[in-house]
Amino acid sequence: MLVMLVRRLAMVVPTLLGVSIVVFLLMSVLPGDPLAGLLAQDASAADRAALEQSMGLDDPLPVRYVHWLGDALTGDFGYSPYRRRDVADLLGTAFRNTLQLAVASAAVGIGLGVALGTIAAVHRGRLLDRLVSVVAMTGISVPSYWVAILLIIVFSANLHWLPAGGMSSGGGGLLDTLKHLVMPAFASAFVSIGVTARMMRASLLETYGQDFVDTLRAKGLTGRQILWHVAKNAASPVLTVAGLQVGFLLGGSVLIETIFSWPGLGQLIFQAISARDFRVIQAGILVVAVTFVLVNLVVDLLQLVIDPRLRKAA
Amino acid sequence: MVAITTPTRAKRPADETLVAPRSYLGEVRVRFMTKRAGVGALGVLAVIAVTAVAAPLLTPHDPLAGRATERLLPIGAAGHLLGTDEQGRDMLTRLLYAGRLSLVTGTMPVLIATILGTAIGATAGYLRGPLGAVLMRSMDMLYAFPAVMLAIAVAASLGPGVNNSILAISIVFIPPIARVAEAATRRVVLLEYIEAARLSGASTARIIVSQVLANIFNPIFVYASGLVGLSIVIASGLSFLGLGAAPPTPEWGYMLNSLRGAIYTQPWVAVLPGLFIFATSMACNVVSDALRDALDVKDA
Repeated sequence: MLVMLVRRLAMVVPTLLGVSIVVFLLMSVLPGDPLAGLLAQDASAADRAALEQSMGLDDPLPVRYVHWLGDALTGDFGYSPYRRRDVADLLGTAFRNTLQLAVASAAVGIGLGVALGTIAAVHRGRLLDRLVSVVAMTGISVPSYWVAILLIIVFSANLHWLPAGGMSSGGGGLLDTLKHLVMPAFASAFVSIGVTARMMRASLLETYGQDFVDTLRAKGLTGRQILWHVAKNAASPVLTVAGLQVGFLLGGSVLIETIFSWPGLGQLIFQAISARDFRVIQAGILVVAVTFVLVNLVVDLLQLVIDPRLRKAA
Repeated sequence: MVAITTPTRAKRPADETLVAPRSYLGEVRVRFMTKRAGVGALGVLAVIAVTAVAAPLLTPHDPLAGRATERLLPIGAAGHLLGTDEQGRDMLTRLLYAGRLSLVTGTMPVLIATILGTAIGATAGYLRGPLGAVLMRSMDMLYAFPAVMLAIAVAASLGPGVNNSILAISIVFIPPIARVAEAATRRVVLLEYIEAARLSGASTARIIVSQVLANIFNPIFVYASGLVGLSIVIASGLSFLGLGAAPPTPEWGYMLNSLRGAIYTQPWVAVLPGLFIFATSMACNVVSDALRDALDVKDA
């Protein structure tokens, strides 16, 4: 168990290094002037060269990478001339906002997905099963940005129940927070509902076909008791898929956050891209990718906790 | 004895004359045809593709020219079946023309990624060893990025444009296809006919091309077909953000974004482009599911 734990943790290090290299290279090829906004309008070529030197931009690429990584490890992502704020501050605020949205959509998406998948598996081949598969297929196929617009049209433009965008400032209490949260959370949850429901159904049905279920039935357990045993054994692949969904959601949806003016990571990164604010882009994407890797790590460790068979496999 | 064997003997020739032996593809086609949803979805895709190509024959309007006096007409307005957009251009015309670009940006990345991903995955799965490990670990690195975020980041670094968004989505799809190809190859290389080919003196390249590829095609094909719907959604999403097609060329994602200002005045016209994206992506996914059953692929 311990060996497996250490081995799994050690695997994260090269992945994270690779991620940092990809992020760094991606942004080094980004067209645009990294000094834009830092130089005065009438700056001479000498001024420019001096600034480049002071920021280390004239160093060779590997040297710049090591410097950048060293700073990033200490939480120093530099200064955004476009926002006139420290990049670390910007990312901290945006990450908290995205976390709020991600937790809400994950709860809706994975919760409904597991429930629908279970209903479908229990009613296999019947009307409810087919209904769920249509819902799941819709969830997987529907563009979240279109769902967002539909929700705004119905609940904001016509019914006037919910605000069309923005995040609660915290002054309106819990109800106001929820009112701002519900539409973006549902719009980004649709994919998770579809993916989780399909995996839940498939995994339950596969487990129902195993021999131990016959034994349980022979022992005289009720359908509900059997479902509990089956669900525990079917949880592993569902957990993997759910973890991936949480990772995606924590990355902040650029489209959903842009449509609902939600001040999260996705919106921050996208606006930074438009403004060529390259330190924010670089640090933002790094944060997203590292979060994604760490969520997957947590999921793998959870698998070891819930499934003793995996522990023995080491 | 005779009484037992005669009936079966008498029956078999009759069966053979009634049911001609079918080729493998014939068998697959028959199995696909039993999936009503799959056939229906294939029909929807065919209609979208044909009307996109034949758009100039189907509508008298110019997709790029609008009339300022006819801005944002509702669905069913005289002369404009699906209304007009914010520049007074006929919606139906633009939606049909837009199908061209949207279908291309949906299928091209999958095609490119399938070719490159299969090459990488099959090579890694066949060779294994250090080279295989390096290939697959470098794929894993791209896996660490959420797909849509990666596509947006790549498209943004390359600059807006259709070609760049196709390239961006291709890069997103290469790692998962490479994984499917690698896993399938690892299973195939253990089989006897690969050993037989190796013993008969075939080179590695020849074995991969002539033996491995043919036998890993099904899982890759089914997996890739499932990416087309996603590709259409991501490509339109990139255009929605202004990273894809350049205006005034009609494209569903871009149209959806430019009509956002009209959701309070003409909501039903404003949602039409999204409906087309949704219908196309859903049809692709339903076809892919039917293909999976017809080809009897379980692990793609």
